[in-house]
Amino acid sequence: MNGAAVVSWGKRFVRSFGLPRIIIALFLLSLFILAPFAGVNVGTSLSDTLNRFGMNAIMVLAMVPMIHSGCGLNFGLPLGIIAGLLGATISLQVNIPGPASFFLAILFCTPFALILGWGYGALLNRVKGGEMMIATYVGFSSVAFMCIMWLLLPFNNPTMVWGFSGRGLRTTISVEGYYLHVLNDFLSIQLTKHLVIPTGMLLFFAFFAFIIWAFLHTKTGTAMTAVGSNPVFARASGINVDRIRTLSVVMSTWLGAVGILVYQQSFGFIQLYMGPFYMALPAVSAILIGGASVNKASILNVIIGTFLFQGIVTMTPSVMNSMIHTDMSEVIRIVVSNGMILYALTRKTEAAR
Amino acid sequence: MKMGRTLLIRLSAVLVILILSVVLFFIGKSHTVLVDNKTVTVEGREIAPLKLVEVSVSKQGALELTPRDRDKFEVTGQKHRVTVTYTDDAWNERTITRSFTVPLMQDMVMVLVPALVAHPEGEQALWLENYEAPTYAVTMSESDEVVTDDMAGLITGI
Amino acid sequence: MTLNATKGQKLLRFLANNTVPILFLIICAFGIPLSGYSANYLVSEIIIRLVRNSFLIVSLLIPILAGMGLNFGMTLGAMAGQIGLIFISDWGIVGIPGMVLAMIISTPISMFLGWLCGKILNMAKGREMVTSYIIGFFMNGIYQLVVLYGMGAVIPIRSKSLVLPRGYGIRNTVNLIGIRKSLDNLLMIRILGIPIPVATFILIALLCLFVLWFKKTKLGQDMRAVGQDMEVARAAGIPVEHTRILSIVISTVLAGYGMIIYLQNIGTLNTYNSHMQIGMFSVAALLVGGATVAKANIRNVFLGVILFHLMFIVSPMAGKNLIGQAQLGEYFRVFVSYGVITISLVLYEMRKKREQAEAGLSLAAAQEVEA
Repeated sequence: MNGAAVVSWGKRFVRSFGLPRIIIALFLLSLFILAPFAGVNVGTSLSDTLNRFGMNAIMVLAMVPMIHSGCGLNFGLPLGIIAGLLGATISLQVNIPGPASFFLAILFCTPFALILGWGYGALLNRVKGGEMMIATYVGFSSVAFMCIMWLLLPFNNPTMVWGFSGRGLRTTISVEGYYLHVLNDFLSIQLTKHLVIPTGMLLFFAFFAFIIWAFLHTKTGTAMTAVGSNPVFARASGINVDRIRTLSVVMSTWLGAVGILVYQQSFGFIQLYMGPFYMALPAVSAILIGGASVNKASILNVIIGTFLFQGIVTMTPSVMNSMIHTDMSEVIRIVVSNGMILYALTRKTEAAR
Repeated sequence: MKMGRTLLIRLSAVLVILILSVVLFFIGKSHTVLVDNKTVTVEGREIAPLKLVEVSVSKQGALELTPRDRDKFEVTGQKHRVTVTYTDDAWNERTITRSFTVPLMQDMVMVLVPALVAHPEGEQALWLENYEAPTYAVTMSESDEVVTDDMAGLITGI
Repeated sequence: MTLNATKGQKLLRFLANNTVPILFLIICAFGIPLSGYSANYLVSEIIIRLVRNSFLIVSLLIPILAGMGLNFGMTLGAMAGQIGLIFISDWGIVGIPGMVLAMIISTPISMFLGWLCGKILNMAKGREMVTSYIIGFFMNGIYQLVVLYGMGAVIPIRSKSLVLPRGYGIRNTVNLIGIRKSLDNLLMIRILGIPIPVATFILIALLCLFVLWFKKTKLGQDMRAVGQDMEVARAAGIPVEHTRILSIVISTVLAGYGMIIYLQNIGTLNTYNSHMQIGMFSVAALLVGGATVAKANIRNVFLGVILFHLMFIVSPMAGKNLIGQAQLGEYFRVFVSYGVITISLVLYEMRKKREQAEAGLSLAAAQEVEA
């Protein structure tokens, strides 16, 4: 009767949503509930979480095209981030202060993202089946390669280079005076003394989320989904599988580039050299926490996942610190994010591969 | 039958390894033997320190001690010999050699040289005492120099 | 139908199969004279690295045999070895007894972690390498939970000098002065002024003999069968899942011992970082030696260590002499290390596709002939 129906509905919900995700969501909820008792201001926490959500959401969004086209989780996100870094540094080199530098950065990063994404996509097309491992190492190699480049490229804006020798970029470059908080402060709403909503950044993300959502419903977008879920059928329908896959990789790379620019305008610094090295992992685990799998992802996954992941990253240090006087946040972050990726990798989803 | 035999072999292998571990623990346990030349009170009587005395423990190099001096030997294992060489009032050189056993779980012991010299045939408890390092000496942080090989550049922190 | 390859075709095929080692040979050929190091220095440095790293790299051979790919999960064995070393440092056990006791302590921990890793890998068939890579990171979190929070609090640690000032958690560095070079010094000889730790080499040689013997045993043959084709092996009655788990367990245990040998050579334990670096450069060295994801033998291990570490040693100086910045050389060697893994993985995947395509073509041709 009623009880049995509820139980069976509950069971189906758990199975479809996944037990780990429910545990994570409940954990975050309990952190928010405990916050006032731990002396942590809920308004500030919510502000921080929203801020971090905005910072990371586009990079998590970058996962969606490649998951749809069957290229797996984009562990090679650092490649897109590098395109973004190139755009940012060139924009700073051109030295037009103010919000215009942000849009210049996006403009400059685009050709790099297109070229790098195209090459990366061509590579992935040759290695179907082993994309994820190769993506990881392509990401690492490119970061290491750019380390050499950051030392050699002829930048000379004094805010960017080492003061002593005048050559070679610094490890962290401040974007103050250029595009610091350009999106955050745009139309930001101050609800209470502690709660500030970075509307500009959230609107920016919403814009891109909408574009991707709309794209996935176009002819090319549905072709992409078809390529991911059933490549044989897609080829039989006359779709050029390799071209669609390359397109998805280019989109993903470009979104990664824009994503790091949004991150920088909020964070305040451009991080070069080994900075982007491990940046794929938080984005990967965020989308998995949101309900995606290795070959299925939606915009809702992006939103839920980024919120949950960044919520935990924000709340754990402050709440747990005040409660048990130990900072276990680092360990919890490692266990949660990597555990989530492990969970996704061990699901028996697709029959093929 | 077969299962029983495999189980038996496995259990005895585990047992052998456990016994080996205990043996390794015993022969590998390191201790610090402090040798001290200070004023000692034995059985109610004060014994003065020696003017100059040479001490060596278990084949390690001899260390010289002046009054109120203290030095140490790092040793491995529990059974050791201490050799004390000194010049007595009649200007004769005297050597005393005694064996002693360090308690297993004791990190540091101290040889009270004056007591040993005064009672060369006395039992171990007379001239050997357990020693606990004062907390400040132990928790004082040594320089935390990080020694890696040059692979450190391959991985940055997560 | 066999093809009569001309000398030129044979050369081309040799080059194609051994791209990575040849590439490295070229890099070293340029780098060594550029760096200006003396032959004496280089030889003694290489001997040290051979002694330090070979055992660890040999532990990677068995999972490759069983078709599990590159076992990035050797990190788990390294963690177990480190836990063993923390305990013997705490108890004050020194010298060879200390080393052996650390190995004995690490074994059950390695076996458990390897079993866990193997079970998870069985749930992710077809993605073993990525999964083992993430397992390494995940277990790092658990390791920190145990070592940074558990030790001193839940797990009793006697020696206050090991523990952080806050009362629990092991310090960032543990001084292994007790066992420092204890295995190396056991039988040290000098040839032409270069110290050679014979005892460690003997141990490594024994391990190589063990691996060679193991490949001939029934279990070894089972693993090879599983590595070649899981379904055929299953049809032949081999317990496929169990065999795969066993290969990971053996590899993890050996990695634990290898880590202890590595650390006794260095003399200090970098509690929270050593094990994470190990997996990366062991895999890179093996690949440089000419191994692939599906095939690796002892030759690859030693060739790999020599070439990889030669490149590593000469890069900073070569960079300084060539461009004027040693930092450039350091970034260059990091790039080459990751690049070599990338190239190897790509070449492996491409060759796999080509072989599958050729198999399909020959099958189609055979069917045509029949029809």
